[in-house]
Amino acid sequence: MLLDVHDLHVEFHTRDGVARAVNGVSYGVDEGETLAVLGESGSGKSVTAQAIMGILDVPPGRITGGEVIFKGRDLLPLKEEQRRKVRGAEMAMIFQDALSSLNPVLSVGDQLGEMFTVHRGMSKKDARAKAVELMDRVRIPAARERVRQYPHQFSGGMRQRIMIAMALALEPALIIADEPTTALDVTVQAQVMELLAELQREYRMGLILITHDLGVVADVADRIAVMYAGRIVESAPVHDIYKAPAHPYTRGLLDSIPRLDQKGRELYAIKGLPPNLMDIPPGCAFHPRCPMARDVCRTDEPPLYEVTESETDRGSACHFWRECLHG
Amino acid sequence: MAELSKNDEQVGTTPNVSGVEVVEARTEAEEVAALEVPVERGEPILQVRNLVKHFPLTQGILFKKSVGAVKAVDGISFDLYQGETLGIVGESGCGKSTVARLLMNLERATAGEIFYKGQDITRLSGKALKAVRRNIQMVFQDPYTSLNPRMTVGDIIGEPFEIHPEVAPKGDRRKKVQDLLDVVGLNPEYINRYPHQFSGGQRQRIGIARGLALNPEIIICDEPVSALDVSVQAQVINLMEGLQNEFNLSYLFIAHDLSIVRHISDRVGVMYLGKMAEIGTDAQIYDHPTHPYTQALLSAVPVPDPEARANRERIILTGDVPSPANPPSGCRFRTRCWKAQDKCAEEVPLLAVPERFKDSDTPAAHESACHFAEEKDVVHAA
Repeated sequence: MLLDVHDLHVEFHTRDGVARAVNGVSYGVDEGETLAVLGESGSGKSVTAQAIMGILDVPPGRITGGEVIFKGRDLLPLKEEQRRKVRGAEMAMIFQDALSSLNPVLSVGDQLGEMFTVHRGMSKKDARAKAVELMDRVRIPAARERVRQYPHQFSGGMRQRIMIAMALALEPALIIADEPTTALDVTVQAQVMELLAELQREYRMGLILITHDLGVVADVADRIAVMYAGRIVESAPVHDIYKAPAHPYTRGLLDSIPRLDQKGRELYAIKGLPPNLMDIPPGCAFHPRCPMARDVCRTDEPPLYEVTESETDRGSACHFWRECLHG
Repeated sequence: MAELSKNDEQVGTTPNVSGVEVVEARTEAEEVAALEVPVERGEPILQVRNLVKHFPLTQGILFKKSVGAVKAVDGISFDLYQGETLGIVGESGCGKSTVARLLMNLERATAGEIFYKGQDITRLSGKALKAVRRNIQMVFQDPYTSLNPRMTVGDIIGEPFEIHPEVAPKGDRRKKVQDLLDVVGLNPEYINRYPHQFSGGQRQRIGIARGLALNPEIIICDEPVSALDVSVQAQVINLMEGLQNEFNLSYLFIAHDLSIVRHISDRVGVMYLGKMAEIGTDAQIYDHPTHPYTQALLSAVPVPDPEARANRERIILTGDVPSPANPPSGCRFRTRCWKAQDKCAEEVPLLAVPERFKDSDTPAAHESACHFAEEKDVVHAA
């Protein structure tokens, strides 16, 4: 396993109380594998990624437990200096909003080149040549001329390509992409996702794709981890989950996609609202919104049960996963 | 400037110009009276003809000099029928939000007409304009910035009554606001709360309640659910469909999520770079698209079914949308189109039923602005 996150807990201390953003998340990624982490805002999917990368804001954030084992060693006890050597060189991140992630007063060539001068000790001239090469690699036309330009001179899709180039620069083993195409138009999203998938195959990288889009997930993921209120509620290979979800939350998400045969009828909607992280419901956090909830769901927090009926490696954090699977 | 007048000429040749029954009203009282006449279900309530909006590009600070124009909307025509939902889809920069602002009279059109019940609202003023504004309301995309954080929910929803006191006399207002809260599925006791005490989905319900306050006939929804979580989107869509039936509303539903647009719309228009590329019923557009842009757009949407991965032919467009300040000559899509030929650079394709389908009753016989319009099988999400 390239990356093995084990029982991770993250809290945020705020004026109004303690927000438990991540409550015991475990997932793993192999090299060459794409894991999609699916969840709504506040589910803890981005916070988990920040803890893995070591870019969590501390304070107010605090990692209160767990391990992040990357290439066999736990990253969490490492000093910031050692973390910095891992970050960028061995694992890199692509953010949703490329415009605010790039420095507006440096040319894109300087920003790409910085990866090589800082991490590899290259001269500025060599770094510039590397920057052009990378921009070619992510198919930015006229890279030699555009390397001198500033972020605002690029379109949204081109800026996201520059972010991808920057993440790829040092050929890391793992890339975490946090909603990489959410800010893009669909035709551009298709281009960027195709590029990302192609580069991943070529470099055999592990990819963690954080998203809320069930369409994007179906297109590129090998495995899915569904998050709700800071926990993994379901984890399975992509084909299994779309065929028969084993958690009512996953089922609800899939059912609320508008389908042709539902035209003119009410859409299925999960009732209620996502929970307040300061006050997560006892028992199963999903029980106030769950159509299958019973007494035990209000009191006992379900562990991630192994879905034993499946031939593949599946888990569901529902007491009644069997019913859900067949329902 | 030469370029501008050339464009106006192209606009003038659109065949859609006819078909509007213009109401001739001379006095303000006549204008207002004409606006009160109800429209029958299925009859056009809003007719847009050759609508143009150019934003001037200027240079210099003291002596601003015009150096061109962003052609945000460049000659579009369509009808909105009473009781229907017309979906408008397109990518960012295609002009769909500018259309919304023009219909609301928040922007002054550069050219063209917007007929509401037969009167051109771009020319109205005073009492008549006020009456139009009461009847056309808007729901905005971002429920976080479109509600004033210093006002209570009661004040936000009740504010339209300050401007149109005839709808609800002063003593009645609190009751009316509570009714509205109830209608959109919020607890009427929340009337004294502030926006920050609500979630995104609840805020959007507040925005919808404000839009309903004056009993409008048309609601323009500009990306009303795109800022919401997936599980909450369905709730808001269901609410909007319910309200449409209850209050007999016509919706112009602007969005970029193609599957939601198909679910809610009776007809769909596809915009590209300030022009309407294709318009028809939802089945015509989704199942029988004839414009290459529509085909590419549909094929680019990820299908939420991993089994579809293998047998899907995707049309991946190259490049980005050109700048609306300097759109390509002829057909605006030609720079990214795989079918483009010389003719496409020379002649602007008109939005009309393609000649080859004209006399047949195939679903492909709907308006499409392409010289080489033809059907293509596209596997898509909706």
